[in-house]
Amino acid sequence: MTDPLITATGDGVPLVVEPNTPPSKKLPPGEWVKANLFSNWYNSLVTLVMAVILIYLARFLIGWAIGVEWQITRTNLRNFMVGGFPADELWRPWAASLLIIAGASLGFGAMSRAEHETDVRNGIPSTKPTQLDLFRRFWPIVLLSIFFVSFARTTPPFIGVAVGIVGLFALREVGWRLPAVIRDRGVFVFAAFLLAGFGCLAGTGGLLAIVAGIIVAVLVSTELGRAGITTRAVVIAGPIAAGLVTYFVLSAIGLEGFGWDDWGGFHITIFATAVGIATGLPFGILLAIGRRSNLPVIKTACVIFIEFVRGVPLITLLLFSSFMLPLFFPAGSDTRSGLTRAMILITAFSAAYFAEIVRGGLQSVPKGQTEAAQASGMSPGAIQRLIVMPQALRNVIPAMVGQAIALFKDTSLLAIIGIADFFQYGEISNTQQDFLGKGLQPVTYTFIALGYWAVAYWMSRESRRLEMKLRVGVR
Amino acid sequence: MTDATVNADATAFAGTGEAIIKVENMDKFFGDFQALKNINMNVGHKEVVVVIGPSGSGKSTLIRCINRLEQHDAGRIVVDGIELSDDIRNIQEIRKETGMVFQSFNLFPHLSIIDNITLAPRQVRRMPKAEAEELAMELLTRVKIPEQAQKFPGQLSGGQQQRVAIARALAMRPKVILFDEPTSALDPEMIKEVLDTMKDLANEGMTMICVTHEMGFAREVADRVVFMADGEVVEVGTPDHFFDNPQEARTRLFLSQIL
Repeated sequence: MTDPLITATGDGVPLVVEPNTPPSKKLPPGEWVKANLFSNWYNSLVTLVMAVILIYLARFLIGWAIGVEWQITRTNLRNFMVGGFPADELWRPWAASLLIIAGASLGFGAMSRAEHETDVRNGIPSTKPTQLDLFRRFWPIVLLSIFFVSFARTTPPFIGVAVGIVGLFALREVGWRLPAVIRDRGVFVFAAFLLAGFGCLAGTGGLLAIVAGIIVAVLVSTELGRAGITTRAVVIAGPIAAGLVTYFVLSAIGLEGFGWDDWGGFHITIFATAVGIATGLPFGILLAIGRRSNLPVIKTACVIFIEFVRGVPLITLLLFSSFMLPLFFPAGSDTRSGLTRAMILITAFSAAYFAEIVRGGLQSVPKGQTEAAQASGMSPGAIQRLIVMPQALRNVIPAMVGQAIALFKDTSLLAIIGIADFFQYGEISNTQQDFLGKGLQPVTYTFIALGYWAVAYWMSRESRRLEMKLRVGVR
Repeated sequence: MTDATVNADATAFAGTGEAIIKVENMDKFFGDFQALKNINMNVGHKEVVVVIGPSGSGKSTLIRCINRLEQHDAGRIVVDGIELSDDIRNIQEIRKETGMVFQSFNLFPHLSIIDNITLAPRQVRRMPKAEAEELAMELLTRVKIPEQAQKFPGQLSGGQQQRVAIARALAMRPKVILFDEPTSALDPEMIKEVLDTMKDLANEGMTMICVTHEMGFAREVADRVVFMADGEVVEVGTPDHFFDNPQEARTRLFLSQIL
């Protein structure tokens, strides 16, 4: 290819043309202030008035934060974090958190390396993300951890948070350097650590065994695909067998732990959100597909479910879970814990909302996409899975993250049915004997608001990051 | 206008050997509107048929019926010995053997160029990944854009996208390719590169049905030209017959408007 900056002058001598750059729009600070804040007399007036208001507010807030008694959060820090979790078993949530951080850090390090290698192989410019990039991604969470731990009265929490933060940054490097065999399976590295963490906390029975079984099945399935094995029987039976074996082995080990009836505080808030998203999204996708089905029975069932659940306030659904849902379980069987029942309803709730979001996404995929896939002989299932759904989901990432954030905040309603989540401890701590009637609600609710805000803001940033990433070179 | 214009017979085919596509007494309705009226048409092995006609004449509907993107309401369609029915397996079998190139390209925007091409062979023909990628590179070389393999559709020009779409159709090694106005959405300077690709295909002996407004292409490449209007086949003939000596008043009117 010829250099576009060199053009022939006609006499055979190339003429080098200076590249055109857009004129700089950056102003020196003095001129910037003049242009943006004091361009004429009424703008100057507005600037001054706003400055006075802002300074007043800042002085008030700082003065309040310094002057107020934060003892209530110090005393209740453990309650806010893990609720009534048995005190001599606190190593479990710590181990779980650190394992999950380690898994995320290793996994994401490995995955970003794999992406980097693919880009390089395909001739797309790509550089290794720096530690600063990682900090930019996670700063709300890092700062929140530091904010939380600053209220601790003993040393171990400080050590725990320090290990977590150092681990986050250090293990990303390790993940980046993992051998290619492991690196290409970064997601499963993360999943393994997640399961290990969950096992530390809750033992190996029940839910963990099911989730582990599913993950192993997916792992085996992708490995078979990688190995190029396409024999129908093996491709279908292999993953199912591996998943079942995992399930039974883990169930048989029967390591004891503390189920979620012992959990509380920020811990349960995060967990309820994660479950609401992880189970609600797949069900939501199925509902959205069902609602577009040509079969009247399936379509009607999906419409009724979605419209019923969306038409009822979440509080009502939660109360329904504690009063009516037990009637659905056979008499005499164990009635399930309150949180299990609440999670069933939270799943239903988020599934209905996700379903409508996904349906919007499905409608946004042009008909030509389906037709092109049909014309090449692909099966309806493959078209849905490989062509329509990826585009539909990509188009609705902002709406889905919005729903995830809304769900995260809505979990505070768990308090209504007597589950002591992060939000509920605001009220609980204010009714303790030491703090009753002292009007410390502003303190506890500021603390709670910051906790919710940091996580929600982080989710919002991740959503924008994901959008940018998925749109690279697409439109 | 004479009544002789109704339903010319397009069953006499050129090419070699057997007819690969047979359309018999086919009707198609959209609601109460009859889009195709009693179509009879055969396409021979290695034949190039160009379908022309004013917009709304049913040209696109005709070829979309052949691979069941539209469902015909009466008559028979037989592709490579398989009759098109409601049986999804029959439909899949026919779609495997008929590639299609669309006016608006319809590349999959979330997949890279090479993945666009390898997807169907791997999914439908169960071709191993390495083999599919080798085939894709070979086809991209054939349409003269191998260097674009790792890019995404949005990064390519319209002409390049349409050539990828042709490569994607070829990757299934179809017996017939249907072209639905492949150059209508292209800027003028890109039409030639797509037409050249199509000409190469025709010269290599691919069986093709092309709905197009490119009269130059029709004249140069077609074995037969089928002229449609108002859902009917009005006139059929060789390019020489069609452009130099058209018999029907409607054909002459159409040609006088576009040439």
